[in-house]
Amino acid sequence: MSVARKALEMTQAATEAIVKRAETRYEAHRQEIYRTTDKMFAGLMIGQWLFAILVAMTYSPYGWQGKVRTIHAHVWVALILGGAITSLPVALAFLKPGEAITRHVIAAAQMLWSALLIHLTGGRIETHFHVFGSLAFLAFYRDWPVLLTGTVVVATDHLLRGILWPESVYGIPNPEWWRTLEHASWVIFCISFLVLSCRRSQRDMQVMAEKGAELEALSENVWRNSSVVERAANDDPKGR
Amino acid sequence: MTSAANANVGAPGRKGYDRVVVPAPEGGTRSLSRKQFEGLPLRERVSYLIEGTAQFFLDGSPISASDAMRT
Repeated sequence: MSVARKALEMTQAATEAIVKRAETRYEAHRQEIYRTTDKMFAGLMIGQWLFAILVAMTYSPYGWQGKVRTIHAHVWVALILGGAITSLPVALAFLKPGEAITRHVIAAAQMLWSALLIHLTGGRIETHFHVFGSLAFLAFYRDWPVLLTGTVVVATDHLLRGILWPESVYGIPNPEWWRTLEHASWVIFCISFLVLSCRRSQRDMQVMAEKGAELEALSENVWRNSSVVERAANDDPKGR
Repeated sequence: MTSAANANVGAPGRKGYDRVVVPAPEGGTRSLSRKQFEGLPLRERVSYLIEGTAQFFLDGSPISASDAMRT
């Protein structure tokens, strides 16, 4: 085998190894973000469950029945429905962390939590802010399709409840027909920028991984061009 | 790994290098802007750097690859 041929093969092998390591670094970084965010949402889901029970026991009777405090059916709704919404995403966060299905189930559940909290507060408009906060939290994944899942769930919830039980979502029995469209428009406005932010974050992560690869390649070149004596002077036990 | 990700590395105001001369596939060389170089597939950029066949320039003056890669 000629020296030139051997050098070419060495370059190809080194290139493949460096590119592979860059891809591994990029994927590991993404996985770390996914897993950390899964755990964050697991904690948030449990916190929301406790908060919903508290709301059902304190605010909800006033919100729905005037000033007479009673043990309201919403306590059971918060306990049972809230538990149902919480259980699957929390289980997936611990059993299948970092997987796409976990992120999408969490996104759907988080939006169902918005819906439940809005219902428990009698359609209080301020509780709708929970939707926007949740979308911002979902952007922590830096995975924009997760935002679409959340948007579809919350839009469907608003549409159906807006038709079937408007008081539950808007606090009034006869809202304007376009109220759901208005809310959906603000959600689309919000996620438009979050999607851009997610895509930019992913690009930045990729750039970081690629910069690492370029530095590795540079190091490989320096090693190849150094003499045997210089390599030995570097005190490397393997000779490189 | 695709390389379209590198848009912001070559953002205005960043120093390091602004032009690269690399071997052309059909022989000879080709001169690329930083953005064009960063748009090449990672595999191709890495092989140029390993072989030392990429020549980096800043404001028309040649600089070493290690200086070019600092930013």
